[in-house]
Amino acid sequence: MYDRVALHQPRRLLALAALLAATTAAGARQAPDDALHQAVAPPPSRQDDAPLPGARSARNANYEIDVRLDHENRRLTGTETIRWRNIGRGPASSIVLHLYWNAWRNNQSSWMRERALAGGERTPREDEWGYIEIDRIELLEGPAAEPGAGERSPQPRGEPLTPTFQSPDDGNPDDRTVVSVALPQPVEPGQSVALRVAWTSRVPRTFSRTGAIGDYYFIAHWFPKVAVFETDRWTAHQFHANTEFFSDYGSYDVRITVPQGWVVGATGTERSRADNRDGTTTHRYAQDDVHDFAWTTSPTYIEHRQRFEHEGLPGVDMRLLLQPEHAGQEDRHFAATAAALRYYGEWYGPYPYPQITIVDPAWRSGAGGMEYPTLFTAGSRWLAPRQSNQPEGVTIHEAGHQFWFGMVGNNEFEDAWLDEGLNTFSEERVQELAFQPNYRVERFFGGFIPWQQRDIALARATDGNGLNGYRGAAERDTPATPTWRYWPGTHAQITYSKTALWLHTLERQLGWETLQQVLATFFERWKFRHPRPEDFFAVATEVSGRDLEFFFDQVYRSSNEFDYAVEKLTSVRVETTGYEGEGDRRAYVERTSDTTYRTTLVVRRLGEAYFPVDIKVRFEGGEEIRLGWDGLRRWQAFTWDRPERAVSAEVDPDRLLLLDVNYTNNSVTLQPEAAPAATRWSMAWMIWLQDVLLTYAFFV
Amino acid sequence: MRSSYSDGLGRVRRAPWVVAGTYVATVLMAVPLALTLRGMMMEHLGASLAAGAAARGVNFDWWNEFLAQSAGLGQTFVPAILGFAAVLKNLSTVADAEALPTVIASAVVAHAVLSLFLAGGILDRLARNRVVGAAAFFSACGVYFFRFLRLGLVAGLVYWQLFTRVHPWLFDEVLADATRDITVERTAFVYRLGFYALFGAAVLAVNVVMDYAKIRAVVEDRRSMLGALAASLRFIRHHPGAAVGLYLANTLLFLAVVAAYAVAVPPATAPVWAIVGAGQLYILLRVIVRLQFAASQTALFQSRLAHAGYTAAPVPKWPDSPAVEAVSAAGPGATGASTP
Repeated sequence: MYDRVALHQPRRLLALAALLAATTAAGARQAPDDALHQAVAPPPSRQDDAPLPGARSARNANYEIDVRLDHENRRLTGTETIRWRNIGRGPASSIVLHLYWNAWRNNQSSWMRERALAGGERTPREDEWGYIEIDRIELLEGPAAEPGAGERSPQPRGEPLTPTFQSPDDGNPDDRTVVSVALPQPVEPGQSVALRVAWTSRVPRTFSRTGAIGDYYFIAHWFPKVAVFETDRWTAHQFHANTEFFSDYGSYDVRITVPQGWVVGATGTERSRADNRDGTTTHRYAQDDVHDFAWTTSPTYIEHRQRFEHEGLPGVDMRLLLQPEHAGQEDRHFAATAAALRYYGEWYGPYPYPQITIVDPAWRSGAGGMEYPTLFTAGSRWLAPRQSNQPEGVTIHEAGHQFWFGMVGNNEFEDAWLDEGLNTFSEERVQELAFQPNYRVERFFGGFIPWQQRDIALARATDGNGLNGYRGAAERDTPATPTWRYWPGTHAQITYSKTALWLHTLERQLGWETLQQVLATFFERWKFRHPRPEDFFAVATEVSGRDLEFFFDQVYRSSNEFDYAVEKLTSVRVETTGYEGEGDRRAYVERTSDTTYRTTLVVRRLGEAYFPVDIKVRFEGGEEIRLGWDGLRRWQAFTWDRPERAVSAEVDPDRLLLLDVNYTNNSVTLQPEAAPAATRWSMAWMIWLQDVLLTYAFFV
Repeated sequence: MRSSYSDGLGRVRRAPWVVAGTYVATVLMAVPLALTLRGMMMEHLGASLAAGAAARGVNFDWWNEFLAQSAGLGQTFVPAILGFAAVLKNLSTVADAEALPTVIASAVVAHAVLSLFLAGGILDRLARNRVVGAAAFFSACGVYFFRFLRLGLVAGLVYWQLFTRVHPWLFDEVLADATRDITVERTAFVYRLGFYALFGAAVLAVNVVMDYAKIRAVVEDRRSMLGALAASLRFIRHHPGAAVGLYLANTLLFLAVVAAYAVAVPPATAPVWAIVGAGQLYILLRVIVRLQFAASQTALFQSRLAHAGYTAAPVPKWPDSPAVEAVSAAGPGATGASTP
């Protein structure tokens, strides 16, 4: 269903007129319009999220965790102390916790039902399921005005609290991924509470990038984790197949006990390590100002270290946990991580932590390509041709998430495009600058054998941003829909690709300097906080000095497609036929001009979405006419009488609008070359077909 | 075995019209579809400026757009058809038992029927190892076509079972279970190679049996295809080393041709004549390799079993079977070979 409302709103048209004026002013910056800015001002903050003194964040969700891995039984037993401060605007009468691993407790969870809806997934075997079970939860301290002052509270302590499962999104009674714990007394804004939770969990065989295979463990979203309290209510979604996560910032102090000799990687830095008498080792990792904690362990990791240094940016220790079969690829992982730290650091703001851990996941662990604070999983193959984007692409992307997700902590349940889209756009920009050429790779024989196609160098604007995937899913969902409600099969094309495409369109429209300022301002203003889409739009309008609301209406609040086309181009000698003159001088004439060609151009808007575009007409002798078209009407005709014949015409000749799903129809030439092109490619295809015939003739 | 291999090469060399005909058969099957695809491309490109870039090399943007907006035959114009990737794609499709798009599967079936029709004439010509003329060639095609069709049904049934039942069981169940907890990709690949070898051996075994069944049907003018199959099995049982060794030697020749194409395939920016020239040369060499399989296996069989005392048909009719010719050539008093 198309959303045409925006086309008829006067404010949108006013905004469009403002943009057109800015566009045609050859790069001149337009002064901000205060009235318009008021209209797009972001809503008031939902949290009192100012950083604590000496800290980067509000640090209102803090964890001390002690966890032990029982490898033989693939179990975790843990205890945690959660110290939570209410930074919302109203009292919290309960604490809401996420129990993500219950998404894989059985096939009745919302996560599993949604995955089934997308289709194509087999039913997991018995040993693949996992779960998390709270053994005991008790109030340790508070509520109290200051952390640690809870002892003075009159509330009973040490008594077990009763958790109740909730399904706020879909009412699924079988979903156990959100649990609410009623408190004996509300926690007022600014007050703190401490809870102690003991739990047991079975590590799944990897789902959603967390779990175990053999002796390889990647453990994420694994502990009872407090949701986010905003304004006067909890923002706590069930775990959905499409969505990621949302948490407040805090300090984590985690003791991880694993078999001796196993390598451990985790969020933060290792503070201590102690061997135990039972053949295990306890590793203590800690990190402030992060909103999650993940860890991994395996006896086979090979550890590499390198230091990132770049002028103007703080140094960072890069720690790589590499699979032995990927020996020799360490430089590629480090180079990609360093490129992300450098460019993101220069464009948006420096990476503030002392270390970053790159995890090269085990083959078929399913853990690859995921971000966690100060740690991420990349993903490579045994045969990974150089000058292709594996492992570079995924490494840049996940390292980049340290900025968009790690530091700017938007709600991924609802607005995943804010981090995934901004990050995909940035990743592709880094890849274009630092890793060229980037050739296409096709994989054969079960995907094991790569073949690099050096005839096909991938381009950032189209291939990198995912135009091809987006093309097929353009109208499947409106980005303004909460992400967890997206259709499971196409959310990636909307979340990642559409956002990257429209950001790149903005880059081409506004210029990189302006867009970089927009992103840097947004980053600076919202780092260690939880922005919403309106916050981004407000910054974009403010920094660019243009009201971009009409654009966001098209790309964010609508699922409409863009498709502009040249419908007709003719260029012929001017012919006059009929009567000329008046009265006695009226005469019938049939005349063809020897000196003047009439060029007629008709352009069309085939899609429902609109965007101001340029039109370029080239004439014999090389002369060009370029003019702007607001792109609003369904069609527009132009006519020129000139001494030269037209050669070609193009709509959006500089391809500013990267969301145009059909760019081939954007141009017409009067000297077409379709025949030689079609001959070339049909002949190449014929060789393949002949080879097919001969291959199967083997069986005759 | 070595003499059969070189004998086979000689027989193929001395049958240029058979080589040309087999090559032309692939061209004739492919051209109509290529023309259809060309028309689809022409329509999609229209008078667009995108055609200019596509005429000179890869316009990947247009390619993706065409792929996204076309159906049927257009969906087969994937990037993997480019250069040597096309060869890998086809071998991989067979090895992984992937389904072909309907339109391509139809062409494959049509080509298979045509190949089945030509097989009798080709084997007859290669077995006689002399010029027989077009009329005799096509008469042999006609004589053996329905026999081979019956044999083809048996072969098709066996292959169908192999690819639709054995392959999924082997790869999707046994291999998947065997590698379920393997976290090292190259180890899993070694397993997969083993399963390819296992499945490949089964396919090749069926192929060798079918090859010798056809050869015996032609050389001995057999009418019962079940009898030909049994005879083929007997021959392979008595000469396993030679039969398998020859097959492997021919497979090496095939791999050499594939490797040569991998090295020589021109880039997509090359002139169209270079791309087509290299591609068609590769196709021609593949045709030769295919005929070499038939010729060398025929030579092997004739060198071991085609004895003069055997006559398949009571009253030989034109065209005579090679066995009858052998009897005729054996000496006076034998059944006279006749040529019109």
